[in-house]
Amino acid sequence: MPKKKMQSADPVLMQVLRYAMEQIADGMGHTLGRTARSTIIKEIKDISCAVFDRNGNTVAQAHHAPMLLTGFEIPMKSLRKRFRDDELNDGDVIIFNDPYIGGQHVMDLITIAPVRYKRELIGFVGSIAHHADMGGAAAGGTQGGLTEIYLEGLRFPMVKLYKRGKEDSELFGILNNNIRVPDKTLGDIRAQASANFVGGRRLKEIFEKYGIAVVQRHTDALLDYSEKRIREGLKKLADGTYTGVDHVDDDGLTGKPIKLQVNIHKQGDRAIVDFDGTDPEVPGNVNCPIATVHAAVYYALIAVADPHVPANSGCYRPFEVQAQEGLVVNPRPPRACGARTNTSQKITEAMMLALAQAAPDRVMAGSHGQITNCGFSGYHPETGKRFVYVDIQGGGAGARWCKDGRDGQDSHLARFMNTPVEAVELEFPMRIEEYSFITDTGGAGKYRGALGLRRDIRSLIDDLSFGRYGDRQAFAPFGLFGGKEGGKGKFILNPGSSEERPLKSKGLDKLKQNDVVSLRLPGAGGYGEPRDRDPQAVLRDVRDGKVSIEQAEKDYDIVIDPRTMEIVK
Amino acid sequence: MRIGIDVGGTFTDVVLIDDAGGKIHYTKVLTVPKNPAQGLLNGVEKILRIANATMTDLDYMIHGHGTTIGTNALIERKGAKTGLITTAGFRDVLEIARIERPDEGMYDLTVDLPEPLVPRYLRAEVEERVGSKGEVIRALDEASVVRAVKYLKEQNVETIAVCLLFSFLNPAHEQRVKQIAKEIYPEAFVSISSDISPEFREFERTSTTVINAYLQPIVERYIRNLIAMLNEKYGQVEVRIMQASGGAMSAEAARDHAVNIVNSGPAGGTVAGAFIGGMIGDKYLMTVDMGGTSFDIGLIIDGVPRVSSEGKFEGYPVKIPAVDVHALGAGGGSIAWIDEGGALNVGPKSAAADPGPACYGRGELPVVTDANLALGRLNPDYFLGGEMKLYPDRARAAIEKHIARPLGMSVEDAAWGIIRVINATMVKGMAGSSIQKGFDPREFTLIAFGGAGPLHACELAQEIGMKKVVVPLYPGAFSAFGLVMSDIRHDYVQTVAKPASALDPDELTRAYDAMEQQARAILREEKIADKEIEIQCTADLRYAGQAYEMNVAVPRNGKLARKDVDAMVARFHAQHQRVYEYSSHDEPVEVINVRLVGIGAVPDVKLPKRKRGDASPRGALKGKRAVYYAGRGFINVAVYERDLLKPGNIVKGPCIIEEIISSTVVIPGATARVDVWGNVIIEL
Repeated sequence: MPKKKMQSADPVLMQVLRYAMEQIADGMGHTLGRTARSTIIKEIKDISCAVFDRNGNTVAQAHHAPMLLTGFEIPMKSLRKRFRDDELNDGDVIIFNDPYIGGQHVMDLITIAPVRYKRELIGFVGSIAHHADMGGAAAGGTQGGLTEIYLEGLRFPMVKLYKRGKEDSELFGILNNNIRVPDKTLGDIRAQASANFVGGRRLKEIFEKYGIAVVQRHTDALLDYSEKRIREGLKKLADGTYTGVDHVDDDGLTGKPIKLQVNIHKQGDRAIVDFDGTDPEVPGNVNCPIATVHAAVYYALIAVADPHVPANSGCYRPFEVQAQEGLVVNPRPPRACGARTNTSQKITEAMMLALAQAAPDRVMAGSHGQITNCGFSGYHPETGKRFVYVDIQGGGAGARWCKDGRDGQDSHLARFMNTPVEAVELEFPMRIEEYSFITDTGGAGKYRGALGLRRDIRSLIDDLSFGRYGDRQAFAPFGLFGGKEGGKGKFILNPGSSEERPLKSKGLDKLKQNDVVSLRLPGAGGYGEPRDRDPQAVLRDVRDGKVSIEQAEKDYDIVIDPRTMEIVK
Repeated sequence: MRIGIDVGGTFTDVVLIDDAGGKIHYTKVLTVPKNPAQGLLNGVEKILRIANATMTDLDYMIHGHGTTIGTNALIERKGAKTGLITTAGFRDVLEIARIERPDEGMYDLTVDLPEPLVPRYLRAEVEERVGSKGEVIRALDEASVVRAVKYLKEQNVETIAVCLLFSFLNPAHEQRVKQIAKEIYPEAFVSISSDISPEFREFERTSTTVINAYLQPIVERYIRNLIAMLNEKYGQVEVRIMQASGGAMSAEAARDHAVNIVNSGPAGGTVAGAFIGGMIGDKYLMTVDMGGTSFDIGLIIDGVPRVSSEGKFEGYPVKIPAVDVHALGAGGGSIAWIDEGGALNVGPKSAAADPGPACYGRGELPVVTDANLALGRLNPDYFLGGEMKLYPDRARAAIEKHIARPLGMSVEDAAWGIIRVINATMVKGMAGSSIQKGFDPREFTLIAFGGAGPLHACELAQEIGMKKVVVPLYPGAFSAFGLVMSDIRHDYVQTVAKPASALDPDELTRAYDAMEQQARAILREEKIADKEIEIQCTADLRYAGQAYEMNVAVPRNGKLARKDVDAMVARFHAQHQRVYEYSSHDEPVEVINVRLVGIGAVPDVKLPKRKRGDASPRGALKGKRAVYYAGRGFINVAVYERDLLKPGNIVKGPCIIEEIISSTVVIPGATARVDVWGNVIIEL
């Protein structure tokens, strides 16, 4: 089948249309990032944009977070079932955030706009963005240990927020009454709609230029092409079943570790991934909805099979994900799943462990392994208004077969940005007092894992709520092929003072004025035997204070004179 | 008389404008990579000989760098040993960056952010803290400064960057650090962020300041050497250096602003583009410069090259005003290849000059130039005016082997496929550079230059819906032509960060006045007469809560009043509507930065007019040859010699217009004419 289609399509026009569609998606992402109001979109860029064909297949994506990109697959299928063709009008914007119909967590609002040309439905454009607040028990949804999805915020089924270009004032009214910072969030939602309108108009221009049949034939061919590339990549891996296991520390309530097991069955040009051996769903909110699970699996397989493939729905055809309902990786309503990224990044880590057996020269050692999410909320002393500040933290990136983990750089499903210290302080009553690497947190190895990061935040007001979900404070980032584990994370209140005490990795606390929260994010694992590391690289790390002299001797058996900074043994 | 010199990777282009005699001369000499100043001198000598002129006639010389000095030092990481001083607790900001891995690294586990230019052990901290209102939270501990500077001195750094938090609101601590550093370590260069890039976001500001520090010793040495060589040979010479902003500055001023000259190469082309636009009466133009390895896209808005300060270079943010040129890895040397899925790709890898296209005789892989040659669009016997022989058989063989056979198509179809894919890449870039900035490219005139630009210009314009293409004079030395006519320019910025409603117009006036004084002082030092000085004021505005600002003009005649602030806000709403398709008049608007540009205008360039001819281009007809056109295959078309075309001649497509440095493909249905100055103007 695919072969036949490839022949009837012009491979050159296929590339021409691919670039044009990618430009639309990039343009939408640009509009959204530029016009948004909350730091989580405008600085962190926790967004994604995509262009779909009439069947809901992703054709082109903007370069944002892989988790959100591959996350369009399942909801688009739901959407095509939910609406008849004649219910999809130009100028409509359908929104939803329900994890149980293919959404991520309720904070991630997906907006999809159907596009018609000459009255025919030609495709969709869509965006997804993480919002500063969706109501619910905790500001920004960032609190560990929530027990039901009802506590996590407003949950939308697929509804039209815009009908033929007009805002639905009733829905906007509901949103306005239920979220903490409507000024910002409604501005952000309008920015999403605006990005869709910009994208839709440009998509029509392409259809006008080439004609409906021609574009469709070539976008079909593009999907086949990506599929073929992935299949070629899979063929190069040895057949077999590969298993990887990682753990989430706990669910924020029970204190019990949660086991994640992936079993990759690689046969020829296909890969089936099942989760047999994985723990059941849990009371706390680290349950991972199925769309996010797919994203985590797809990401790892693409990274290993063919990282430069044009990412579209065709890529996913050679993959099958089997996750039994009722597992932590396919929870049932009304399980809470706001902190799903503690789990989804671990799925990717388990995939890396499994794939390391098939392709040792394509994988990364254990990383930060989560998307540490912190939500601060209170009343701003100058305006008297409620504010919500969601900060996403990166951590260590694992070492690879060819080089060290890059200190500071984020890994895997997240491809976010941090929030500048000056941006935080200009907007919120908080002061950041340190942002630095933590010595000796990079796992030793022929190639060293990246260091963990430290961020100390002082509250300038009383009654500042601090909700968060973090992980890898019990289970360290793994090393590969003799590489050592990276350092674990911890959260500390008022470090170095008489009031110093540890904080739970997942929870909610109230901070007083002048309380300091010190976030110590995990490092990452090393790759290969430490004794194989270039001594000059060890010396450089010691000189840079990234590895202590003591640790260099312990891990690498290299003795350095602290005065001359020369290797003496 | 004035001279413009563009030092590129391979060639140094030189343009001389003889204002008194009404003549323009240009030439090329080989760049001397080990000592670019020597190549420059060779060029000067040659152009003086050609123009039969002496240096005593020279008013000034403007010098730009395509890929040399600062730019190269950064690409090759061969800058000076640099130290960095930061607020205590934040020395790692430079390395943590914004944590985001690059676009190409979405699924590729090996792609990383560039390594910091200052390693961790050369990053020292000082005890101090300024808050978000510019208030001092913790006074500067001078003992900690002394310790930091002494340490960096022991480490033999040659240059020091200083970036403290919120210094854009209160630079006192940074200034004091600089003072102390100069006392303890007078040999070192010191760059402070409040001088180099006083804008918020600590990582981007640190990055910019570090690049300045990293390059300053190199730029300083280069300029000193250049001036010494010129003085020895010619006596006192007025030398100006081009900035990435599209304006020049005196060599003296450039010593302190090394970061401003990074990547100044593409700026010359947009300045020249704006000039050509003025001649032909077009104010909205897109310039495309297609050479061997890269494709640079610039925009001219309302007659002025678009400037922005959000650029990156080599993955490092550079927050200084720069002509907004978007560079793609697409050029005549871009290699065509088939990927694992069987799709045809072109670039971004380039065969460049070495080994070069298959048709040059040494390379084996098919590149865009080979495709142009195989399709008859290039003349194998007239490349560089016949100085260099091309081998069409080798081009065809390479395309056949690597593209046509694997894809099961004819060599012609494969060659045409290569052109279409590279064109699609360029069209994507052109659309991104315009539409994302709120401009409809269809309303723009395309100015195409560089060796390969005119070959592709008509098809690019057609694809994107543009109606007019200009192949300007001197397409091979267009950047040097732009340099020679560049005004002097100095940019200033001051962060305000206040709601527009709360902004006191007097405060605004004072901020602009202070910047204007600085601008006038330095322009006077550069011997610019008061009447040649032009001051432009703008401001960066945003809706409260947005992270990115839009720059709007602020017309200013003396004191500003409330109505001027209101007008500024009104312009912002309108611009936001145009770019992002919505505006929100109820929302509060903030004024983040005020900006001022001081310009020292240079005299207009008057180009000589050419003698008119009649409509028939017969006098320029060189012959006919078979050229491939979309949907028509090979057809015999007329080939004209550009230098023989006369104003008034009308040339109908399909045809080819050849010149020494390039070749213009005129597509069917298009009509080309030559204007009185010699520009080729094509209507589609």
